[in-house]
Amino acid sequence: MKKWLIPIYILAAALIFSGCRKELDRININPNEPTIPDPEYLFANGIKSNVDTYWGTDATMETTLLYVQYWSKIQYPDPDRYIPASTSIQSVWNNFYAQGITDFTTLIQLGDSLKLPGYKASSIIMRSWIFQVLTDLYGDVPYSQAGQIEKYLTPKYDRQQDIYNGLLTELKQAVTIIDANPGAPLAGDSLLLGKLQNWKKFANGLRSRIALRIADRDPEGARKVFADLAAEGNVFFADGDREAKLNYLASPSQNPVGRNRETRNDYRISKTVIDQLQALNDPRLTVYAAKPADGGPYLGVTNGLPADSASRLGFSKTSDVGSAFTASQAPAFLFTYAEQLFILAEAAQRGFYNGNASDLYQQAVRASFKQYGITGATVDAYLAQPAVQYNVANYKKSIGDQKWLALFSESLEAFAEWRRLDYPQLKPAYTGVLLGKMPVRFTYPSSEQALNGINYKAAVARQGTDLLTTKVWFDMY
Amino acid sequence: MKYLQRLLCLLPGLLWLQQSIAQEIRVSGVVTSRTDAQRIPGAVIRVKGSSSGAQTDADGRFAINAHEKDTLQVFYLGFEPAFVVVGSNHVINISLESTNRKLDEVVVTALGISREKKSLGYAVQELKSKDISEAKETNLVNALSGKIAGVQVTNSQGNMGSSRIVIRGETSIAGNNQPLFVLDGVPVDNSQLGVGTGRDFANAISDINPDDIAAISVLKGPNAAALYGSRASGGVIVIKTKTGKDTKGGLGVTVNSGATFEKVLILPDFQNSYGQGTGGQFSYKDGKGGGLNDGVDESWGPKMDGRLIPQFFSNGEAVPFVAHPNNVKDFYVTGYTLNNGLSVGGSSEKIDYRFSYNNTKQVGILPNTGISRNTFVASNTFRLTPKLTLSTYANYIRSAADNLPGVDGKRGNSVTLQFIWFGRQVDIEKLKNYKNPDGTDYNWNHSYYSNPYWIQNENTVGMLRNRFLGNARLSYEIQPWLTAAFRIGTDYYQDRRKYRVAYYTNGTPFGSYTEDAYAVNETNGEFTLNAKKKLGSNFDIDVLAGGNLRTNQYEQNYQQAPRLAIKGVYTLNNSRDPLVSTSYLSRQKVYSAFASAQVGYHNYAFVNLTARNDWSSTLPVSYFYPSVNASLVLSEAFHLQSNVLSLLKVRGGWAQVGKDTDPYLQVNTYPFNTPFGSQPLLTVSDKYLSKNIKPEITTSTELGVEAGFFKNRAKIDVTYYNTTSRNQILLADVSGSTGYLKKLLNSGELKNHGVEVQLGLTPIITRSGFRWDVNVNYARNVSEVVSLDNDGFLNSYVLGSSGNIQVIATKGQRYGALFGSAFARDAQGRVLVNADGRPQTDPTQRVLGYFTPKWTGSINNAFSFKGFNLSFLIDTKQGGSIWSGTNSTGMRTGVLAATMPGRDQEHGGLPYYNDGTKNVQLPSHDATAPNGAVVKHDGIIFDGYTADGKKNTAVLPAMDYYKAVYSSSLSETSIYDASFIKLREVRLGYTLPQTIVNKWGLQSVNIALVARNLGYLSKHAPNIDPETAFNTGNGQGLETLQIPTTRSFGFNLNVSF
Repeated sequence: MKKWLIPIYILAAALIFSGCRKELDRININPNEPTIPDPEYLFANGIKSNVDTYWGTDATMETTLLYVQYWSKIQYPDPDRYIPASTSIQSVWNNFYAQGITDFTTLIQLGDSLKLPGYKASSIIMRSWIFQVLTDLYGDVPYSQAGQIEKYLTPKYDRQQDIYNGLLTELKQAVTIIDANPGAPLAGDSLLLGKLQNWKKFANGLRSRIALRIADRDPEGARKVFADLAAEGNVFFADGDREAKLNYLASPSQNPVGRNRETRNDYRISKTVIDQLQALNDPRLTVYAAKPADGGPYLGVTNGLPADSASRLGFSKTSDVGSAFTASQAPAFLFTYAEQLFILAEAAQRGFYNGNASDLYQQAVRASFKQYGITGATVDAYLAQPAVQYNVANYKKSIGDQKWLALFSESLEAFAEWRRLDYPQLKPAYTGVLLGKMPVRFTYPSSEQALNGINYKAAVARQGTDLLTTKVWFDMY
Repeated sequence: MKYLQRLLCLLPGLLWLQQSIAQEIRVSGVVTSRTDAQRIPGAVIRVKGSSSGAQTDADGRFAINAHEKDTLQVFYLGFEPAFVVVGSNHVINISLESTNRKLDEVVVTALGISREKKSLGYAVQELKSKDISEAKETNLVNALSGKIAGVQVTNSQGNMGSSRIVIRGETSIAGNNQPLFVLDGVPVDNSQLGVGTGRDFANAISDINPDDIAAISVLKGPNAAALYGSRASGGVIVIKTKTGKDTKGGLGVTVNSGATFEKVLILPDFQNSYGQGTGGQFSYKDGKGGGLNDGVDESWGPKMDGRLIPQFFSNGEAVPFVAHPNNVKDFYVTGYTLNNGLSVGGSSEKIDYRFSYNNTKQVGILPNTGISRNTFVASNTFRLTPKLTLSTYANYIRSAADNLPGVDGKRGNSVTLQFIWFGRQVDIEKLKNYKNPDGTDYNWNHSYYSNPYWIQNENTVGMLRNRFLGNARLSYEIQPWLTAAFRIGTDYYQDRRKYRVAYYTNGTPFGSYTEDAYAVNETNGEFTLNAKKKLGSNFDIDVLAGGNLRTNQYEQNYQQAPRLAIKGVYTLNNSRDPLVSTSYLSRQKVYSAFASAQVGYHNYAFVNLTARNDWSSTLPVSYFYPSVNASLVLSEAFHLQSNVLSLLKVRGGWAQVGKDTDPYLQVNTYPFNTPFGSQPLLTVSDKYLSKNIKPEITTSTELGVEAGFFKNRAKIDVTYYNTTSRNQILLADVSGSTGYLKKLLNSGELKNHGVEVQLGLTPIITRSGFRWDVNVNYARNVSEVVSLDNDGFLNSYVLGSSGNIQVIATKGQRYGALFGSAFARDAQGRVLVNADGRPQTDPTQRVLGYFTPKWTGSINNAFSFKGFNLSFLIDTKQGGSIWSGTNSTGMRTGVLAATMPGRDQEHGGLPYYNDGTKNVQLPSHDATAPNGAVVKHDGIIFDGYTADGKKNTAVLPAMDYYKAVYSSSLSETSIYDASFIKLREVRLGYTLPQTIVNKWGLQSVNIALVARNLGYLSKHAPNIDPETAFNTGNGQGLETLQIPTTRSFGFNLNVSF
C-alpha cells in the first residue's frame, strides 16, 4: 500500500460514515406521532382531558363528591370514610399538571409564535381555571415555576394567596387580549363554542369566583377585583347564555360518570342531600336522585358506613344519582349562570358589587331550577318558604345551603365553597377515620416527597402538616 | 437394522475404493475410551488431507485404507480428537481421552469463537446439553437456575409463563438487565411482549427447544462479552446448537420422549373455622347485598359448625354451614408437559446435517390452560471445497395457546385474586356448572366476581406465535492462517393474541374482544477476517476484525371492541362502540466495527484485546469501547505441576461496554388521544426527551484465580469483579408540576461488585467406575445506586409498584429497594396507636427491604456408577425481601390460618363489650357486661403505645385488628425475608450398557427421571413461594397474587439408532 493513499482511505471512510449517520438519523424519526402540534387539536384535547379530570373518578366520585355529601358509597367504602386511594390523589395532580398545564402552556406559546390571540387568551383562561382548582384542593402548589421543565425540574410551591393574585392578573390579561382581538379564530372549542365573548364572560366569572375565595382573608383585594370588573362593564354570563360546560357524546366520548355506571355500581346519592331536598320540598329531588331499582321512595345512603352495613342496605333498595348526571351524554359544568348569580349576591352582600343581595340570591335559585327545566309556580312556592328565604343576618347560611344544592355534582367547586362558607353544616362520615373531623383539602401526592422533596417540605412547613384536615389559606373559618 | 447400519458405515469406504490408487494399506483397529476401556462405536476416522473416512462399528472396530505416514484423525463427541501417524504396524488401537477430564477445556466465547479456557482472562461457565435437556424445563431460562455462579433466575408462576434471568446483579437502573441471548452467533430476541395485559406471556427465548442445544456458555459480564457490544453489559448467554457432527454414528436418528407432571408447590394455609360474611353474620340471597352480608366476600362470618344458613346453592333454604378446606386446592389440576422429538443427523467429509422436530404440549395447573409448541430445525454444514464452508441453520417455531393463565390480580381474568377472598365455606364442586340457563354466571358472590370456572372457560386469552430463526455463514480460507467469514442471521416472529371477555362477566356486562398483534424482527449481517499465526516458536497470534449491521423492527397493532353487540361472537365487527385501535412501529439500526487480538506465549501466557465502535440510530453520537484481559497459567509457566497441584492460573481484565437506548427518545412528539366525537385530539407527551443523549457506559474490572489439585479432583475458581455503569439513560419520574411525568436523564450511576466461587470436588472415584462429584457455586453481589441525576434533584427512580408499595432505585442504597409505609413509632421505636387502639401509619414512607439478594449459592452432588447417575441440586438465595400480596390481602379477608389467633376464646381472644362508644375489656370470659351488653370473645390488643407513652389497652375485635395491621396502606407488615433453600432438582439417569444396546441394533439408550422444585429446606415468607415473578422487568420483589409455583416430576427416554 502506498502511504500517500492513507488520507484518501480515511476520507472515503469518513464519507461513508457520514452517509450512514444521515441514514441513522432518518431511522430515528418517530413515525407514530407528529413532532409539530396542530393548535386546534391540542386545544380540543386540553378541554376534553381536563374536564374529564374535573368530572372524573379521582377528583370527584372517590373524593370530593363524598366529602360534600352529594354521593356516598355502597361498595368499597374506604374513600367515603376519608381513606382516599393514593392513586386518586396522585392522578388528579398528574392529570391537571401534565395534561392541563402543559397543553395550555404550549398553546399559549403557539398563540404567540403563530399569532393566534384567540388560542392564547382562551388557553390562559383554561390554565387559570386549572390552577384555581389545584390550589383550592391542595393549598399551596407550584404555580410560578410550574410547567417549565427546562428551567425548573423541581418547581417551588407558591403561597395560595400569591397564586390567586397571579391568576387574577392572568385572567385580566386574557380579557385584554380578547378585547383587542374580538374576531380572532378559535376552533376545537367544545366548551364555549369558539366564541371569544363567551370566553371573556368565563374569565370574568372566574375573577369574581376567586375574588370571593380571598374575600375573608383579603377583603380589599376582593373589592378591587369587583371594582375592576365594574370598570370593564360587568360583563358576566347572562340568562340564556352558553355556560361553561362540556356536552359529552356517545361512547367512547361519554361522561365519566356515565362511563362509571356502564360497569360499576359502587355509588349512591347521599342521605344528606336527600334529607335536605326533602326537608325543603325541593323539586330538584326528582332530577338529582333516581328511584331505587326495586321501587319505593327515594332512599339515600349515609356517608361512611362500614362495608357490611352499606352492602346490607342493598343495591336495589337504595337511590342512585339521577340520570341527568349518570347518562353517558350528561354535561359537565365548569361555570354556570346560577353560580355567577350566587357570586354576585354575596358580593353585593359584602358591599363589593352594586346590587340587591336578596334579589340576586332569588335569581340564583331560579337559575338553578331553570338549569334543570323547573320554572313557574313551584319555584315561587319554594322561594317563599322561611327556610329558603334570604337571611341577611346569616347570609353565609342562605347562600351556603342553596349554593350547595345548586352546585350538585359539581363537587370540586362545592367543596371549596362549603369550606369557605361553612354551610351547609355537614356531619362527618359515620365511620370517618379523622376522629370526628372532615377533609378540608387533599394531601399532596406521596410522589412529591420523593420527586420534589425540598419544596414539598417548605410548603408543609408553611401550610401545616400534610393532612386532609389541615386548612388551606382561604379557609379562614 | 444392524446390516443397514454396517452398510452405511462402509459407504465412505466404498466411495474411497473408487478413487483408490496403489500403494495403499489397510489399517484397522479398535477405538476405546481411556477412562473405562469401553469400546466406542460410531467414532469417525479420517485420513488427514484426503477425503477418505470411516466409522467404528458397534464393537468399536474400524478399518480404513491409508498410506504410511498418513495421519489418522479420530473424532467422537465427548472425547478429545486423537491424531495417530500410520507406521509400519497396520493394526492401530486408539484410546480417546474424555473431554471433561481434560485440562485444556475449550469453551465458546464472544462471536462464537472457541478458545481454550486457560487462555481467557475472565470467568466463563458452561452447561452441557444433558444438563439442559434433562432438566425438562419448557422455559430454557429455568434450566439455568442454580447451575451457574452469579446467575439469578426468578421462576415462572404456575408451570408456564415468563422467567427472569440476571447475571451479576443489575447494571442498568432502568433498562433491560437480562443478558443477551446469542444462538450460533446470532442474537435472538428474549423480550416479553404484552406485560400488564393480565397474562404472563412467556419470554421469547422459551421458544428454543432445549433438546436442540449442544452447549450453553455463560459470559458473565462486560469482560467476557465486550465484543458483543451494546447489549452485553448484562452478560451474554451463548447457545451452541447441535449439528450433524454431534451424532454418535449409526443411522444418526435420535428419538426423545418425555413427560413431566406438575403440581402446585405451595398454597396459602387457610383457616377452616369461620366462613363468609362480616361481624359473624351471613345469609345468602342474591350474592350482591340482598341477603345478610352476602355481598361481602370476606371470611369474617359465622362459625362453620354446621349451623343452618341459606347459601348460594340452596335456593333460600337454610343448609349446614361447613368448611371446605380444599376448596382452593381442588380447583387446581395436575399440569403436564409432553415432549416428543426426533432428530436425524450425520456427518461425512462434505456435509454435516441435522434435522430435528419437537412437539411440546403443556397443560397448565389452572383448568383449561395450555400451550403447545412445534419446532423444526434444519442445520447443515457444506464443505463446498476444502477452503469454502457454508453453514446454514433454520428453525421454525409455532407456539399456540387457546388460553393462558390469567395473572396480575385482575378480577376479570385472574382466579388467584378471587381465591384470596374465597368464602371458606364455598364448595368448589358446586361451582363447576358455572352457567345459568339464561347464560349468566352461577357463583357464590356477584358483587365482585364471576365464577372461577367461568373465568377459565369463557374469558380466555389465546396466542399464536410463528417464529423463524435462521442464519447462514460462509467462510473461506484465504490462506491456511487467514479466514474470512460472512454471516447473516435473522429472527422474525409474529405474535397474535386474542382476548375474550364474555357477556355477563362481572364488571363488563357486555364483555369485550381484543386483538393484539406484534411483529418483531432482528437481522444481523456480519463480516469477519481472522488471522492465526505462530510467530517464531514462542508466540501464537490470533487477530480478528469485522463489522456488523443490525436492524431491528417492532410493530404492534391493537384493536378492541370495548363492548360486544351480541354475546358469544368474538370478532372485531361485533361491537357496540367504535373500535379502540392503536398501532406502533419502531425501527432501529446499529453499525458496528470491531476487532480482537489474542497473543499467546508458550501456551501459558495470554493477552486478549478487543475494541468496538457502534453507530446507533437511537443516539446522536457514535461510541467506542475497548477491553483487555490476560491470563497466566502459573503451573505451566513455572513448572509447578505435581501430584498435588494440577493447575494454577491467574487472570484479570478491564473492559468497557457502551449501550444505546430505545428508538425515538430524542425529539418530543405529540401523541393522539381518542377523538372526541369527530374532533381529533393531540396532546403534549408526558415524557420530556433530550436531543443530546450519550451512551450508557459500563466499566468492569475482573480478577480471578483458578486452581486444580490432585489431578483436578479438587478445583476452585474464584472471581472478583467491580462494575460501574455511568450515564444511565432513564426516563425518570419527575414531579407532575413540571408539566411532565417523566424526563429523559442521562446521568445515573450504578455500581456493582462481587465475588463468585466455583468449587468442584471428586471425593470418590473407584476402579469399578463409581464416581462422586460435588459442585458448589457461590456468588455475592453488592450494588449501590450512586446517583440518578447530576444536579441531585432526583432521589429515586421507580422500577415497579403494586398498590401502595413501590420498587425503587434510590440514591446511596442497594438496587431494588421496596419502598412503602410503615408503622409510626415513638423515639424508643415502639409502635404508636390511636385512641381506638389501631396502629398509626407514618406519613413518611421508607425503604422496607430490597428484592436483590445478598448472596446466592448452590450445591450439586452427582453420583455415577456403571451407567447409572444420580444427582441432586440444592439452590439458595439469601438476604432479599419480598412484599406479599397474598399475605396482605389474606390477613384482611380473614381466610388465612394466621388470622385465627384472637378470633375466639379458644384461640386466645379477649373478652370485652361495647359500651356504646368504646370497647371495654372484661376480666374473664364468664364475666357479664353491664346493662346487658353483649359479651364478645374476639378481642385483641395491639402491642403498641399511645402518644403519651402509655401501653395500649384498647381492645379491637379480631376483624378490625387484622384489617388495621395488614391495611393495604401499611406495607411494612407484608414484607418478608425472601431467603430460601430449595431442593431444586433431583435427577436419576441410566444409560443402558453398550453391549445390550448394540444387540438391539441401537446406538444408545438413556432413561432419566427428573424432579424439579421438590420443596424447601428453609424459607421465611409464609403462604407463598418467595421466588416468584409476574414479569421479567426490573420491578421484582412483589408477590401480587401470582399463580402458585409448581413442583414437577418427569421422565425422559432418549434412544439413538
